[in-house]
Amino acid sequence: MASSSSSSVSSNYDIPWVEKYRPNKVSDIVGNEDAVSRLKVIARDGNMPNLILSGPPGTGKTTSILALAHELLGANYREAVLELNASDDRGIDVVRNKIKMFAQKKVTLPPGCHKVIILDEADRFFFDFFGGNMVKCRYNISMTSGAQQALRRTMEIYSNTTRFALACNTSSKIIEPIQSRCAIVRFSRLSDQEILGRLMVVVETEKVPYIPEGLEAVIFTADGDMRQALNNLQATYSGFRFVNQENVFKVCDQPHPLHVKNMVKHVLEGNFDDACSGLKQLYDLGYSPTDIITTLFRIIKNYDMAEYLKLEFMKETGFAHMRICDGVGSYLQLCGLLAKLSVARETAKAV
Amino acid sequence: MGKRDAVVVLSSDEEEEDWKPNKNSRSKLSSSVPQANPEVAKKKKKARFSSSVPRSRSSRVDQFEHLGDEFDEALRAFNGSIGYVKNQRKELWVDKYKPQSLEELAVHKKKVEEVKMWFEQRLRTPKEEFDSYVLVISGPAGVGKSATVHMIASHLGAGLCEWKTPIPTLWQEHVHNSSSGIRYTSKLDEFENFVERTRKYISLSGESKSSIILLIDDLPVSNGKFAYGRLQNCLRVLVQSTRTPTAILVTEYGNTETADRTARSIEELVLSLESAGACKVLFNPVTLNSIKRTLSRICRLEQCNVTAGEIDLIAKASGGDIRHAITSLQYYTLKPETSFSSPSSNGALACFEEKTVDLNSLDVEASLPFGRDETLSLFHALGKFLHNKRDTENAVTSDHDRFHLREKFRRLPLKMEAPEKVLSQAHGQARPVVDFLHENVLDFIRDENIDDAWTVASYLSEADFLLASSRGTITRSYEAESVLQSTAVSVAVRGVLFGNSNPLSSRWHAIRRPKIWQVEQSSVCNKFEMMKQRFTAYDGLSSSNLSHVAMEHRHVLKWLGSRPYGNGVLTQGNDTEGNKVDGMTSEGQQCEASEDEIEDW
Repeated sequence: MASSSSSSVSSNYDIPWVEKYRPNKVSDIVGNEDAVSRLKVIARDGNMPNLILSGPPGTGKTTSILALAHELLGANYREAVLELNASDDRGIDVVRNKIKMFAQKKVTLPPGCHKVIILDEADRFFFDFFGGNMVKCRYNISMTSGAQQALRRTMEIYSNTTRFALACNTSSKIIEPIQSRCAIVRFSRLSDQEILGRLMVVVETEKVPYIPEGLEAVIFTADGDMRQALNNLQATYSGFRFVNQENVFKVCDQPHPLHVKNMVKHVLEGNFDDACSGLKQLYDLGYSPTDIITTLFRIIKNYDMAEYLKLEFMKETGFAHMRICDGVGSYLQLCGLLAKLSVARETAKAV
Repeated sequence: MGKRDAVVVLSSDEEEEDWKPNKNSRSKLSSSVPQANPEVAKKKKKARFSSSVPRSRSSRVDQFEHLGDEFDEALRAFNGSIGYVKNQRKELWVDKYKPQSLEELAVHKKKVEEVKMWFEQRLRTPKEEFDSYVLVISGPAGVGKSATVHMIASHLGAGLCEWKTPIPTLWQEHVHNSSSGIRYTSKLDEFENFVERTRKYISLSGESKSSIILLIDDLPVSNGKFAYGRLQNCLRVLVQSTRTPTAILVTEYGNTETADRTARSIEELVLSLESAGACKVLFNPVTLNSIKRTLSRICRLEQCNVTAGEIDLIAKASGGDIRHAITSLQYYTLKPETSFSSPSSNGALACFEEKTVDLNSLDVEASLPFGRDETLSLFHALGKFLHNKRDTENAVTSDHDRFHLREKFRRLPLKMEAPEKVLSQAHGQARPVVDFLHENVLDFIRDENIDDAWTVASYLSEADFLLASSRGTITRSYEAESVLQSTAVSVAVRGVLFGNSNPLSSRWHAIRRPKIWQVEQSSVCNKFEMMKQRFTAYDGLSSSNLSHVAMEHRHVLKWLGSRPYGNGVLTQGNDTEGNKVDGMTSEGQQCEASEDEIEDW
């Protein structure tokens, strides 16, 4: 990502923008204002309850919890925060001991402060806990309860010195006894405006040349995921030095939504041949069926069409997506999908 | 270690653990000073929190309070000297407002009474022989199982002897230990030792000090058949031989993805304990009212102004889990004072267009972030989908004009955001949404519109299919799975919206919890039971189909009902052949029978 040939660079050029522009203060976090406002109060008053932060990726869960920890603990951050995420070794013993040892560690803190244990990607955590892949733990699943018990006891016993923050994608994957001990903070996808606002800040400070359509494309590819948006922006910039639609889609290697949109339009107008040739073109460009169908689904979701058609289109796309995920990722499936969409359209059409 | 006052040492070493039982035993004594201490501290804290508390107490109370203060200081100094300062202000509310008396427990009075009676009988009249000294208390997380036992123990003045899960041994530690001659003991060994010790110790000194309650809160992890068998044996021995009143707490797992095989094996364990003669008490989720009472008490003590409506919401969203309700309350009161009056997530709403303004009042409640799994906001969203409000006339059709739909596929525009948007605001997850819709949608379809029901059902089944495929394989990427899930949920929601062409006029309906969850749970339970039987019957060779067991063997067993159970299981294999023919002929009858059984379960 970091090419050294550029001239307009600051010294820390090769830091990913995701890291460079990661907010350090809770108040700088974009979106989810309800959650963030509460976290702000915690940052001010201390006494953080045990938290589960759940929401889709790239919505600021990790960022806010890190920022919160920084604000709470300030200079003590190094010794009073234990961060475990998916990249750490999560063998059961390592984790259990790490957490427990940390909880027992004596740290001198100002009153009202607590040590913080951050478990990132906690829903994976209970699976990865066993150092094995998920399939393996299907058979070994009673291990889960070990992890659970260790954690839930630890939470209780050390609650006056140590607090937990768990970040995960779906809170229901966290076992009930732990859910019961935590307040759940829900994060939802960022709106396009919120992402745009942040992108503008970055674009301005980095002096990235852009056209508005380019940013729009970045936002489209990101789909409410700030991390992705920043990564794509940076990738486009370092690849092409200019952010316009074409470059963005080239870099992100996604089928051009306009192209896909045209396909849908052709289907709706009854030009099956045109739709098919559009598909062929996309396929020949080398996009995998998974890429195409994912984009197609998102286009259909936002396309303005009659309710019945939308429903049917979504259903068929869903089935096609399922088949493709199951390994039948052939061109034929995509053509078949277009045909089915056309049939749905014909059925619905008034004679 | 010298500690100045300003510095609070946050530590949690043995001293603290030593301190805890200490507290327990102190509260056991009925002398007033230590008892009064928390009270006083609370009062004092209150006064500290806000000066608006009217200081109109009599001088005597003041004096007493002063005394209490002094005592408090002394106590703090004492605690400080052993390296542990209790941090009064910065506790979790769950700990801070632990029930102090039986009356404060949020558990149903009768349940508490029942458990109390059980212990009382066994403690007060040690001479009598009871057929069981072990009580298995089971219930979902956060319904006050441990709290009840703790309170009852202190109420009866009994000491608690609690099994505490030992800290796992580090490898380095182990190496160090083994060089100094200490042998490694597995945690299960330790548990066995503990059980053994308590059994013997108490039976030795049983005559004089009978007031000890054994509490096993955390069953040790048993991994694999062998360890599990040991645990089971150990507990069975405990059940059969102990003369100390013992409480074993078992957490039930509801319908989450986490209800894995562990939960099954725990259920099995409970069954085996029961068959060994243990009593079982089931704790239900805490009722709405008592949660509300507790929450408003805490609000009063904390002096935070949360309206009754908000408390009601929190209580409802907690689903009978009082611990979670209190935690949520603590989290909820963390509001910047400025925007306290409008608990709406402006961030999510502000970006909407103007037309949502009228909806806003409703969405204020809908976007509250509480709840464990099914948030209240989810119910609001479901309500929207089920009621299916639409504009009365087709105002703007210009966009679709180029394309005319058949009459039967035409629908009036929806009076809501795009369903996907509503869902994402409600933090709805695919599986529960589909289940809820399935359970409730028929209430909203007119009786005469059977075609609508047909359409809706077919769409729901397709959504279910999409979901099932994403549940089966877990190797898929998050990306792919999330697309599938969102497709499924869109199909379900839009199917319900589209299918119900002529919705019932708005009427109040309670949204029911899907029955299917219960059914699934008991079916898994049955299956597990049968697997076990099959295993014993075939000596590990799993050659027979589960449905065979269900359709044939079980009925043979029932039929042979008079025989002892264990023999019946063993003979089952031999009977199979002969009964196959029988099974075919009286199939219908057997189906009925098996349904009955499921109900009994």
